[in-house]
Amino acid sequence: MDNGRREIEVMANLLGSNDMQAGVNRTHFQKNNCLAINVIGSPGAGKTTLLEKTLPNLTLDLHVGVIEGDIFTSKDADRIAVHGVPVIQINTGGGCHLDSKMVSKVLPEFDWKVMDLIIIENVGNLVCPADFDLGEAFKVIVLSIVEGDDKPSKYPVIFRNAKAVVLNKMDFELLTDVNMEIMRNDIRTINPEIEIFEVSCRNGNGLHAWTSWLRHEVKVYKETNG
Amino acid sequence: MHELSLMGGVFEVIEQTLSLHEVKRVLQVKLKVGELTNAEPDALNMAFEAYSKDTICEGAELIVERVPVRARCRNCLHVFAVETMFFLCPNCQNTSIEVIQGEELLLESLEVE
Repeated sequence: MDNGRREIEVMANLLGSNDMQAGVNRTHFQKNNCLAINVIGSPGAGKTTLLEKTLPNLTLDLHVGVIEGDIFTSKDADRIAVHGVPVIQINTGGGCHLDSKMVSKVLPEFDWKVMDLIIIENVGNLVCPADFDLGEAFKVIVLSIVEGDDKPSKYPVIFRNAKAVVLNKMDFELLTDVNMEIMRNDIRTINPEIEIFEVSCRNGNGLHAWTSWLRHEVKVYKETNG
Repeated sequence: MHELSLMGGVFEVIEQTLSLHEVKRVLQVKLKVGELTNAEPDALNMAFEAYSKDTICEGAELIVERVPVRARCRNCLHVFAVETMFFLCPNCQNTSIEVIQGEELLLESLEVE
């Protein structure tokens, strides 16, 4: 080209280094026969509350660990620790999502000889965490119905990439204008294979179906893996 | 604002690429960004400016090409554009479809001198 101008073709993935570390994390979980899930939702959707309500049941027969992603505080990790579950806090210091390197750094903190399930609670955000693979087996969305029935169609990327969605705060259904028909239809059109759980962490409705499903997923993972 | 992290990825790739070539200055950086990602072009531009300051890329033009979503029906193999993020085959109404384009986050090329 004139004046020494030339084009270099690159074609490289911008998430290359994140994806590579995510692969290493995934192999680590597989080697230790431990299901890892990435829980994603807006601030206030009820991610930590869902864990608080789920852990007492799951820990009856499973060894569960939790990684808590938070921008600054350890408030969520403190809430989980009360349940006697090993929990590690990652503070992103302003970052809007967890990445695979942050997760890999805390993995040595767990006792991998016994772990059955690792729950990674991402930073409260429906947008950014969707693009960053952490090495999890699958993603679970927590969406509270009071956020509105328009949310699935407004944030399709995350709904497309998740295996299950927990619709929380169902006890508010009659107090809001949310149209559950639209909510369910939109979720299904974006991702026909997604599992939908309708729960209220406040009164406990629907939680049994969710915990049974998750326990079943741990079993299936261990069988296929081992 | 994860565009800052993505831009970190852009500069990692640029650094690797430039280590293999003799380059005085980078004039243009071309990205391919699928519509089924959450990367926003304006935020990418802002992040690019911040990252490129005082580097060989300072003043370079960032071109972000948005890649529309296309999918293939697993039932009738029809290939179609997914326009409203509703993943439904317009040919046979099947909902089991495979995304074949629109998830890219790529550094396509660099123009240098």
